[in-house]
Amino acid sequence: MTAAGVRGAPEVVCAAVGKTFATGAGPLAVLEPRDLTLAPGSVTALVGPSGCGKSTLLRIIAGLERPDPGGSVLIDGDEPLAVRRRGEMAIAFQDASLLPWRTAAGNVALAQRLAGRPADPARVSALLRKVGLAGFERARPAQLSGGMRQRAAIARCLVTEPRLLLLDEPFGAVDELTRRRLNIELPPLWSGTSTTTLLVTHSIPEAVLLADRVLVMSPRPGTILADLPVALDRPRRMQHLHSEEFTRLVERVGALLGVDQYAADEG
Amino acid sequence: MLRTVLGWVMAVGLWELVGRTLLAGRHLVGTPSGIVAKLVDNAEVYGRGLWFTTREAALGYLLGNLAAVALALLVVLLPGVERLVLRFALVVYCLPLVALGPLLRLVYGFGDGPQITLAAFAVFYLTLVPLLVGLRAVPQSWLDLTATYGRGRWTTLVVIRARASLPYLMAGLQATVPAAFLGALVGEFTGAERGVGVLSILALRSLDTDGLWALMLLSTAVSLLGYLLVAWAARRLAVEQPTVLLSTPGHGRGRSASERLLRALGGILVTTSVVLAAWVGVFAVTGLNPYFAKRPWDVWDWLVSSPESGAHRDELLTAALETAAVAIPGYFAGLLLGVVLATLFSLSPRLRRALTPVAVALRCVPVIAIAPLLVAALGRGAFGTAVVVAIMTFFPTLVSCLYGLAQLPGQVADVFATYATPSTRVLLLGRLPAMAPAFFASARIAAPTALLAATVAEWLATGTGLGNMMAVDAATSRYTSLWSTVVVVTLVALAAYALVEAVERRVLRVVAPEQLRW
Repeated sequence: MTAAGVRGAPEVVCAAVGKTFATGAGPLAVLEPRDLTLAPGSVTALVGPSGCGKSTLLRIIAGLERPDPGGSVLIDGDEPLAVRRRGEMAIAFQDASLLPWRTAAGNVALAQRLAGRPADPARVSALLRKVGLAGFERARPAQLSGGMRQRAAIARCLVTEPRLLLLDEPFGAVDELTRRRLNIELPPLWSGTSTTTLLVTHSIPEAVLLADRVLVMSPRPGTILADLPVALDRPRRMQHLHSEEFTRLVERVGALLGVDQYAADEG
Repeated sequence: MLRTVLGWVMAVGLWELVGRTLLAGRHLVGTPSGIVAKLVDNAEVYGRGLWFTTREAALGYLLGNLAAVALALLVVLLPGVERLVLRFALVVYCLPLVALGPLLRLVYGFGDGPQITLAAFAVFYLTLVPLLVGLRAVPQSWLDLTATYGRGRWTTLVVIRARASLPYLMAGLQATVPAAFLGALVGEFTGAERGVGVLSILALRSLDTDGLWALMLLSTAVSLLGYLLVAWAARRLAVEQPTVLLSTPGHGRGRSASERLLRALGGILVTTSVVLAAWVGVFAVTGLNPYFAKRPWDVWDWLVSSPESGAHRDELLTAALETAAVAIPGYFAGLLLGVVLATLFSLSPRLRRALTPVAVALRCVPVIAIAPLLVAALGRGAFGTAVVVAIMTFFPTLVSCLYGLAQLPGQVADVFATYATPSTRVLLLGRLPAMAPAFFASARIAAPTALLAATVAEWLATGTGLGNMMAVDAATSRYTSLWSTVVVVTLVALAAYALVEAVERRVLRVVAPEQLRW
């Protein structure tokens, strides 16, 4: 069940969004201009090889990067900056990007403060418990494992109840076993809420498992090769990894990206 | 424990023996017994002098570091002014402190003002540079985090940069403890009424070697104490060691050579205008007496347009060549000695472990305190001055190189270990290239310091070179000449710094390109 139409989740409309970087050796096109709409409450995965511009697209949607002239991003009709200023956006980064001098709880509380919300320690510890960090509220990032740091980072994203959640390779820095656990445990915390989600990943199984819709991107300059709906019910569980739909989609995406045997290796 | 105590007892005993026999009458090293006797006999005089010097150094330290922090914050909030601020700060760092002493004394009158100001000048740049590195050495994703919630520079500064730069600030605060002493001592050497520097000059005049040693050890002890205090504070704040070493900002990436040259020339032009404007402006606002507070046009007149300017230039050139003849060999000897000793130490882990605490202590020696000592020991000729310069260069180079040699990443060291590479080859292929950023950072800072050391020694003793010229100018109220010499010395120091930086960029582009971009 997609959460389409849930009240509060915004629609993201990208029009003619492309990106060219100026380098010493001349302009470098990373992203071909194109239109893209994220339905309210949907979870969309962008999957593609390294350097295909998928993170750039995410950063443009966040407004952290400008699209080339002529392109625009509107979130329910608003500029991204306006959405950020209202504290309605959250981004999870590849490395958890926790501030090393703050505790786990302190890092989560920081997002509340940055978003201009009143401090709410009860909510912070409740959320830490939900992501599986009960008892680690006062631990500093250096004392946490990679997976635990990502859990804290996700808690930091969710504490402000964002309307737009952008996940930039959120599990890219953890080992494969941890990644699978996090893929199952964490998404229920945000899917089904009034949140529109964009996930950038280079893991095909992760994209299929987490998303309602998978956009497959080509190598640089990035363009969208395929737009595949995912017909798996929610909540997603381990069993889905062995379903026919899952296997079919993983193989399909793998074929589009030219990764032979991908399903055999990873699925 | 017992072995350590025995070792120290033997070392002191040997020192006493050598001092009493081989080196007796050479005025080079005092004997431990003589030094202790001096300390006891002059406890009150030395104690008072030390108190004055420490107070000057502490006040200058405070003011200089506050100025550095304020400027760093300004740069972070207004990134456009960074190059200008850094250049201006470098000009201040390159000013010849010896000449500023008497000039400031004319402004402030009697008292500690000049020494405090000089201490602040000596401190300021050394804190500003690492602090700026620290304020900028923040992962992009931390900045994105504040941006995610639509927050601007101010929030980023308060929530992220301020704390992230703390290790760098603390490193700067530690390194500037001896620098503050240096500034205060130079001020005292050049005409103050009281303090350790004044006592040193008196001891120098009476060839009181034990007294010179006692005063030098006292300054070092206080400086070391200050250093340990800051280090303790850093530990209390749970500050980690900074990873990037004092690197200059990477300019001109992706630009052509002619474009870079144009930008550099433009930068020099802008900096020169700002310095000149500040010079004229400050004098106009404070209404300093033009009898001693010469303006840029007076200097121009003296150096370029007056009928006697040719003779003036010849005089200056002769003095500059004399100074160069001691400063350049001294500088390179100091660098070489530092690298060679650090390298030797690095080949023996036992030696390295034993010497690391010594290196920390060496870092705290306000080396300038040794200048009178060396002048007394080695005579008033060029050799003594060159040795002062060499030692002044050597200490920071040794400490930086020891640090740099340890910067080879563990995994790379493991690669060498995989092939059982002999340690000399690891040194050549791994450790020396890994050392380059630290070496150059210290060589760059040491270039103006070498000039300072040379001019201080000349001022104190030799009767030659730019230092002597400034001393004579100050004593005979030839203020136009003094100001012109200040300008020339500053320009020479800047040129030396720029030259080392150019070599640094060449080398780092090969061995450590990551140091050039931040």
